[in-house]
Parts: sequence; structure tokens; C-alpha cells
Amino acid sequence: MGKKFEITNEIRKLRFFADEMTQQQLAEKAGVSRQTIVAVEGGKYNPSLELAFRIAQAFNVPIEEVFQYRAIEKKKKSNKKGDQS
Amino acid sequence: MTYQIARTITRMLSGTVLLIIYLVQVTSRYQSGVLGMNELQSLAQLMLVFIGIGIGVTIAVEIVFHILYSIGIAVKESVKAGSCNDKDIEKEIGKNIEKNIKQDMVEDEMAKLIDLKSLRVGYVTAGIGFITSLIILVLGYPVFLMVNILFGSFFIAGIIEGLAKIVYYTRGV
Repeated sequence: MGKKFEITNEIRKLRFFADEMTQQQLAEKAGVSRQTIVAVEGGKYNPSLELAFRIAQAFNVPIEEVFQYRAIEKKKKSNKKGDQS
Repeated sequence: MTYQIARTITRMLSGTVLLIIYLVQVTSRYQSGVLGMNELQSLAQLMLVFIGIGIGVTIAVEIVFHILYSIGIAVKESVKAGSCNDKDIEKEIGKNIEKNIKQDMVEDEMAKLIDLKSLRVGYVTAGIGFITSLIILVLGYPVFLMVNILFGSFFIAGIIEGLAKIVYYTRGV
């Protein structure tokens, strides 16, 4: 069956290790509004490839350290199906 | 509340007020006999006047909103700095205020995407309004009503577009 994937990020952790960089500072470095950084960090908005690179560049790390592409585990659904059978 | 949400709410409010004023005007003119069911010419005049007023009001509201928003940021920054002296605001906090205002008003890729998506919602609403007006005509209601539904659907589409924007900004795209 086709797996579902999601994009996760480590922006909060990277901001912490960058001397507790504020979202405002990151927004300035990436050239976007603070609201966009809040949405990206909270997983509410998946940035374009260009913005993803700009965020990675702001932390001086490769892009895969900031964003990850992971499979979503369907625990709840599989449990329910198991209960029914 | 962020800049984008505050701006959208302001636009929605001005749109709602304009729609209410228009409806009140049409109803009162219709009841007083100035506007009749077959007097589309005077109705078109009223609509054109309201379109003009709408453009003027939108521009005025935008200007007032930006002034008030900038004042709000300036006050916030000066309170944060613990000083309200004019010299301090000009020299020390001034740059910060300008930077914050610019930063808040940046229209980045997320804002553009939300604009596009909410515009689509607005178009669908206006389309539904157009179809409703046609159905009204087919059902035998006067053209007066059809034209008003059509005109009102554009205002409502603008309001729903604003609502969609707020939803996208709060829940994510």
C-alpha cells in the first residue's frame, strides 16, 4: 500500500543552538515575514525549495539537517481495524 | 494579531459596512418609490455611485489602517525600550520601528499563496451568486432583484475571501 509522507523540520532546535535565534531574526535572514517562519516551524506550511535553502543557509547547515521527509505511521487506523476483526 | 489578519479584518469590516449601507439605501429608495422594479437606470446609477464610494472608502481605510498600525508598532517598541521621549524614538528606536514595520508588511511566498487560494474561494462565491441571480430570473422574479443579488454577491465574495484568508493564516496552507 502507498505510504504517506510528511515534511518535518528542526527549526526550533536549530534556533536554540544558534544562540536562541528569534523567529524575527530568522525571518530577516530568510527574507520572509515572521508569520511565515511561525507557520513553517509549526508544520502548517511547507516552504518552497528556495525558501528551504535560504532557511538552511541562515543556520549554515545542509538542507537535510533542517527538513526531513518521513513516512507517517498510521497507528490509530491500524489499531481500529485490528479491533474490528 | 498579525499584520495580514488585522488588514484582512479591516477590509472585511469596511466591505460589510458598505454592503449594509447599500442595502439600506436600496430598500429605503424602493419603499419611498424613488426606485421602481423596472427602473434599472437609476439602480445602475446607484450601483456606480457605490462602486466609486467603495474604491474611495477602501483607499481611505487602507491609509488609516497603515497609519494606526505603524503607530501601534512605534508605541510597542517605545514601551519595550522603556522610554517615550521623542528624541529616543527618533534616534534609537526609530530604526527598529521601521525595520519591524517593513518586516511585518513583507509579502512573501506564503502570503502570495494564501492570496491566490482565497481569491479562488472569492471567485467561487461570486460564481454561485451569478448562478443564483440567473435562477431568480428563470423563476420569474424581477430583473431588479436579479441585479441586486449579482451586485451583492460581489460584496459577499469579498467578505468570504477575507474569511478564507484568515482561516488559511490561522490553520495553515
